[in-house]
Amino acid sequence: MTATFPDQPVLPATPSRTRSIVRTVGRGLGRFFRRAPLSAFWGCVAAAIIAMAIAAPVLAPYEPLKSDFRSMQKPPDEKHWFGTDQIGRDVLSRVIHGSRASLTVALGAVIFGTTVGALWGLACGYFGGRFDMLSQRLIEFLQSFPDLILAMAIAMALGGGMVTVIVAIAITRIPFGGRVIRSVVLSLKEMQYVEAARGLGASHRRLMFRHILPQCVAPYLVLATTHLGVAIVIEASLGFLGVGIPPPTPTWGNMLADSLNAGLVPPWWLVLFPGAAITITVLAFNLLGDGIRDMLDPRLRGSV
Amino acid sequence: MYSYIARRLGFGALTVVAVSIMVFVVMRILPGDPLVAIFGPEGFTKLSDKDRASYMAELGLSDPLWVQYLTWVKDILRGDFGRSFFRSESVADMILRRGPLTAEIALISVVLSWVVGIPVAIVSALRPNSIADSLARFVSILFLAVPGFWMGMLIVLALLFWFGYRAPMAGASLFADPVANLQLVIGPAIVLGLGQAAYIARMGRSSLLEVVREDYVRTARAKGLNKRLVIGLHALPNALLPVITLSGVLLGLVLAGSVPVERAFGTPGLGFAMFTAVSERDVFVMQNLVFLYAVVFVALNIVVDLTIALLDPRIRYR
Repeated sequence: MTATFPDQPVLPATPSRTRSIVRTVGRGLGRFFRRAPLSAFWGCVAAAIIAMAIAAPVLAPYEPLKSDFRSMQKPPDEKHWFGTDQIGRDVLSRVIHGSRASLTVALGAVIFGTTVGALWGLACGYFGGRFDMLSQRLIEFLQSFPDLILAMAIAMALGGGMVTVIVAIAITRIPFGGRVIRSVVLSLKEMQYVEAARGLGASHRRLMFRHILPQCVAPYLVLATTHLGVAIVIEASLGFLGVGIPPPTPTWGNMLADSLNAGLVPPWWLVLFPGAAITITVLAFNLLGDGIRDMLDPRLRGSV
Repeated sequence: MYSYIARRLGFGALTVVAVSIMVFVVMRILPGDPLVAIFGPEGFTKLSDKDRASYMAELGLSDPLWVQYLTWVKDILRGDFGRSFFRSESVADMILRRGPLTAEIALISVVLSWVVGIPVAIVSALRPNSIADSLARFVSILFLAVPGFWMGMLIVLALLFWFGYRAPMAGASLFADPVANLQLVIGPAIVLGLGQAAYIARMGRSSLLEVVREDYVRTARAKGLNKRLVIGLHALPNALLPVITLSGVLLGLVLAGSVPVERAFGTPGLGFAMFTAVSERDVFVMQNLVFLYAVVFVALNIVVDLTIALLDPRIRYR
């Protein structure tokens, strides 16, 4: 005989409730800035990069795909701050537009990879038993591939394109999400409050989503921000190797690959700027992730 | 210990079988048609149905999938890795010729990562939150973010720019021409080594800081032992265990990283061969190389696990 408690009806977003959410978020942000100013600064950089991606058409001084045959492969000057490539496209505009591809792929890969992995890990940790054992073996098999190699093979098999690249990178992210969240759930499951809820007759769904899931948000956020950085590097590598989003779409990896076609000696501005964009973006997400981890879980401070 | 070794090897064998099935599924069964991969989407539409059928038969692609899989496995067991569409050299010869270069790069990079990473970790952990520690942490965070292949491109550019130097393009074996060989290998090895060193320094630091808090370390200090001796002789060996495990995981980073990094340096190793296979859409070469990389990764991780078991009795007797 199980007496299931009906799930609480979702409260309508009344003005006062919205305001209190805003206040909570604001207070959290304030605390973040005071406790981890460095991470907060890099969080702002990450936000600026996201804003740059959204506003790319407004910010870019030139069309990213338009060739100007009067200025080809020109070093940086006051007209083209980052110079032009071998067919006269403005490098600054291409770097700005490149952020769109990078961030879209990274976000997609984290949503479909880390999140799917996390939900899988939640189910594994919660149900345990044979399902868990099978899943763990599967995850181990997936992890026997170096991640870029797996992504390359999948991207190549599926043929190029934004969706393909997202799928390829997402698959490499699943095992990590699965493992981390599973271990969190395994320890949460034994907690007394979960036992109490179970004793009161809460259903599996309610236990999983109302009692255990909220506790997984912190590790998930940390994982997701780190994975954003990893996904950006993999996306750039795929583009560099010619299995990413096909040209002429400007992506940072494509630009670096293109620079090698610009003659025996690639001009330095074609190499420096796209790579610097990758580095700064990844650095921003990594340090933001560090800060979130330090704040949400002080026990993990300083660990990898 | 023997049962642990047997279990680990057995699971390793199972993994290799699973990996071969996964590689096969990815390369053959996923929606992409191998002919599309070979000829490209445009070339594919230009082929007539008859051409398609004859190409498929010639490549053994019209057999049932399980027959194709078994044929592939049989070929691999015989040491026949097939050949490329575009080159006369068989894949097995290519692996033998190019493999040593990549193996050298991997080996040097791992050694380098320990030589750089561990001292940095010790300096950091000796005085946490000092200037040296902050600097070490900042540099390692920076190196975690820099893509290896970009660093490689910058190094190539800088050497050309300031010294007019370029590494030789042709392959050179370690024994026939050690100088040329070193010039080929050192660049990729440094880039990949520093990338790993950043992880090792971070992990080593946190692991040391944890071990330093243990009772036996406090006892050693209370006996009046010198701080450096305690760290070096008592704390470090235990702190290194997780670092060894990490180093095994990082081998994946080296194997995968060797592809874009070798491309950046123009090193004629196995990673560059994989880049060529990918850009020529050479499905069969890619399939075999991906399988090879995965098997090497699995094998090296077994070695790492057994090393850990040898060093740490807690794992051996579990």
